[in-house]
Amino acid sequence: MNETRERIALLSKALDLMTDRPIRVMEVCGTHTVSIFRQGLRSLFPPSLELVSGPGCPVCVTDQGEIDAAVSLAGIKGVTVATYGDMLRVPGSGSSLVNERALGRDVRVITSADQALEIARNEKTRLVVFVAVGFETTAPSTASVILDAHREGRGNFTVLNLHKAVPPVLEALASDKNIALDALLLPGHVSVILGLSPYRFLPEDHGIACAVAGFGAEDIMLALVEVVRQIREGRPRVASLYSQAVREEGNCLARDLIDRVFEPCDSSWRGLGNLPLSGYGLREEYSSIDALKRLEISINDTSPPSGCSCGEVLKGKMLPRECALFGRLCNPSHPVGPCMVSSEGSCAAHFRFSRGGDHPWKH
Amino acid sequence: METLTIGHGAGGSLTQELVSMILGRFPGNPVRDREDCAILPEGIAVTIDGYTVTPLTFEGGDIGSLCICGSANDLSVRGAKPLYIALGVIAEEGFPLGDLIRFMTSAAGVCSALGIELVTGDTKIVPRGQADGLFLTTCAIGRIGTHSGLGTSNISPGDVILLTSPPGMHGATIAASRYGLKVEGLSSDCAALWPMIEKLLPLEGLRCMRDCTRGGLGTVLCEWAESADIGIEIDETLIPWDEATVSVCDLLGLDPLHMAGEGCAAIVISQEEAADALELAKKHPLGKRASVIGSVTGEHPGYVGIHTASGGTRLVDKPVGEELPRIC
Repeated sequence: MNETRERIALLSKALDLMTDRPIRVMEVCGTHTVSIFRQGLRSLFPPSLELVSGPGCPVCVTDQGEIDAAVSLAGIKGVTVATYGDMLRVPGSGSSLVNERALGRDVRVITSADQALEIARNEKTRLVVFVAVGFETTAPSTASVILDAHREGRGNFTVLNLHKAVPPVLEALASDKNIALDALLLPGHVSVILGLSPYRFLPEDHGIACAVAGFGAEDIMLALVEVVRQIREGRPRVASLYSQAVREEGNCLARDLIDRVFEPCDSSWRGLGNLPLSGYGLREEYSSIDALKRLEISINDTSPPSGCSCGEVLKGKMLPRECALFGRLCNPSHPVGPCMVSSEGSCAAHFRFSRGGDHPWKH
Repeated sequence: METLTIGHGAGGSLTQELVSMILGRFPGNPVRDREDCAILPEGIAVTIDGYTVTPLTFEGGDIGSLCICGSANDLSVRGAKPLYIALGVIAEEGFPLGDLIRFMTSAAGVCSALGIELVTGDTKIVPRGQADGLFLTTCAIGRIGTHSGLGTSNISPGDVILLTSPPGMHGATIAASRYGLKVEGLSSDCAALWPMIEKLLPLEGLRCMRDCTRGGLGTVLCEWAESADIGIEIDETLIPWDEATVSVCDLLGLDPLHMAGEGCAAIVISQEEAADALELAKKHPLGKRASVIGSVTGEHPGYVGIHTASGGTRLVDKPVGEELPRIC
């Protein structure tokens, strides 16, 4: 047995000994969800430790109406839609970006915001719409390219801004008595930007144990040991086990960028509805870059596909396998909801790595 | 209207659905199995493959070397020595002639090293915008030698899985270049496997082989488990990972088990001869990092499990469609 396996086995044993009652932990971040599955950690948790996935996959929380808006933009003559790969296969009400691309619309996959601006610089006859999704992790780079485009007077660059904020959605989940979370595994990357103080209300007002975790197997196991310890001691707090990357005050430069370009606004989340001040809206001075205004389209209130329970899954109220569509009617080849599409979606992860529990290595 | 998407060509489950749909139009046709190449009467082996890669030149190779290695490897893994090649060229109006000559030179280099003869071909030039620069199609023909019975149906519990080199290097190289990442030491593994595989063919315990191209090692193992109705277990720590490939996959959120290789074969061999096979593979430069990565089991038929570096176990799955980079 190699050293890593020995250390993880010890942590697994510790978790088992410490967990003497049912404990419900939510991992907020999609990258954690996938990391836990990919490293097979679920097979090492004690049975009384229940891990549910939260609303931390940017594609998954994007509302149906927002997806439809992105798809409709791709159909406008002269428009190039540039967005992150995960967004392409999410089914809108009628089509998806990947289908639009197959029909000859100009949809491009980028891996960073500045690539979208670069397209606008190189192809001046195209009107580039950067479909910007994500949380505090991607918002600073969106802000940065908006500032650049504004400074350059880049008339053919616009942004469909769908950025959302993590702390308000955690507030909504923590306040929902039906969800009954004992602990949260806080997102590593978001915390690098936000620091620790925006989470303090979670232990203080809601009694929820919290740990910021990195993404390696040991990081995650240690964070779980930490929250279980907090619960046993009855002293919930916000602990950072990702101290090599997360500072108490976060990344001020990145937050300044966000503040310069965005202001808090209400935002619609899939399954959670409209949450007050949970989005990052473009400030008035950058409204010329707002794709909705430039192309005169609006985000409509659209219902999710019939039978799709992504909303309940995102809130941790339902396990993916409890959804009536899971597996047979909704699977990665033929996804109905976004949680089955995104590489970080919890339904996709449950399907890919465990067939929703129906496989030889029970989780 | 249902249309084709890139995912239908990515080698995962969408591709399988598409191929089944096409085969469904040929009732009673002689496509007997879904191996890498067909074996015709008198041991003639034949395969055909289209090559559409962006960029056309990449670290470690180009579309010219790729189109010969790829088809030759499809024959090699069924134990057939590649002998002849037919080449179809579809180029776009405006494509630089010098580039075409360069790619043909590199294709010719692989042919001459393997003793493959180019026997027929076709060229088509299409109007600008109707092809992405250059598409090549190769049909390779070869002959089965000593070992005629290689195939998925031979796999049985107790057999050992051997991998000849790090998985996913070609796919990671292409992905990095497509998404603008520069990674030190990253290179495609594009190579013709015949010279190494030839040495393994005398082993009687050799069950079957596959080159881990589209869909990667994960897809090969899943297809074996499904079609032979056996279980497979591999150990993550035994896989000879290429560091640069793993870091590209980490950055882009891609699974290295799903990334294509172009000079990497997975081999099923009897337990008794596994050590001999490993030794033979390691003697050849293409197999110097060869490793036994797991075994075949009678338990959990149809499923592939991986014992992770953390000591947990999870399912290995096929990719669905196009592997797309994640957001953050």
